[in-house]
Amino acid sequence: MQYAGNFSGSAPVIKKYKASATGYAAGIVVLRSAANASGQMSISTTTSAADALGLLMDTGNNQGSPIAYSTTQGDPEAVYSVIVNPDQILRAQMVTGATGTAITGDTVATASSNGLTVVGGTSVASPDMDEGIIWYTSGANVGKSRKITSTSSVTATVIVPFAANAVGDTFCYAGINIGLQGVTLTTDLQKVRTDIAVSTGATLTCLDLELNGTGDSYALFTLGDSTFCQIT
Amino acid sequence: MAEILVKRQFTRADLLKDAEAGGRKRGRAAGGWIADIAAQKKVITLCPLCTNKFNPAKVHYRKEKEFPVCQAKCDGCSTFDPRCSWYIYDELYTQVRSTAEERRALARSREQRIKRGYL
Repeated sequence: MQYAGNFSGSAPVIKKYKASATGYAAGIVVLRSAANASGQMSISTTTSAADALGLLMDTGNNQGSPIAYSTTQGDPEAVYSVIVNPDQILRAQMVTGATGTAITGDTVATASSNGLTVVGGTSVASPDMDEGIIWYTSGANVGKSRKITSTSSVTATVIVPFAANAVGDTFCYAGINIGLQGVTLTTDLQKVRTDIAVSTGATLTCLDLELNGTGDSYALFTLGDSTFCQIT
Repeated sequence: MAEILVKRQFTRADLLKDAEAGGRKRGRAAGGWIADIAAQKKVITLCPLCTNKFNPAKVHYRKEKEFPVCQAKCDGCSTFDPRCSWYIYDELYTQVRSTAEERRALARSREQRIKRGYL
């Protein structure tokens, strides 16, 4: 993930915190460490960003090798920089699959003259994309997007109609939309998955969407559960 | 002229403070300390007084310009300053920062692709 600013427009606050495990990487969200954990921060998981501290900005290297968390006496301490603003805006690429491949680009299988349905070749009902977003990547509606208001098998329905589509037009969809909280991250915790049902996973709230092609679409998020905003 | 040398008495609190992570150790030159942080590819934060003494290009660092200040503890003088400059290791920059320049390029590309009829 990338740091993209703050709601308030203020300067980022950068703190250096101690790691409590291995596996840290620049660009992941880190959490308050659990009780009895050794350090001050833990790593988020693909489905949890509760009690977030902020975005990790680096992982230390020492003479070319990463400074890993270690409990060996005399080893360097793993201390990393974190942007801790609770109102920070994070930008992540939208992908599918646990390892983060390009979004599924689907093709219109049955034309819709009224523009209220998009009938593709893959299911939008399981996982359910209802309340998510759909956008065209070619055809008469290229670049246009709508909120999905219901789904059934391979058919996504919208209320504000698109222009009539044609068989062969390509489109993408995502189980992410503005104001919805809950996204599932890839295993490297750097990207967000669009192939998971809406509002499932980590407490990141969608702020904006950059809808481009299958490989360069992004979503912007805020921390839905910053540890500096609420004590839970 | 006679010079009186008085040995400084470090308290236990002083020693513990020195052992605190992320800070420069007693007697350590700031330049060497920052060179060490740079070798570790960590984010470097420097207050307005220290920032001019650091050459980011020399150690493959990039100064953050979109958000020219951050609130942090200066790695040079260990003082918390709300107007620090921050530097990110160049290779890590695009991994952790989204810039207006990059977004502008993406928006331009999007516009051109839409004109071609394929996003």
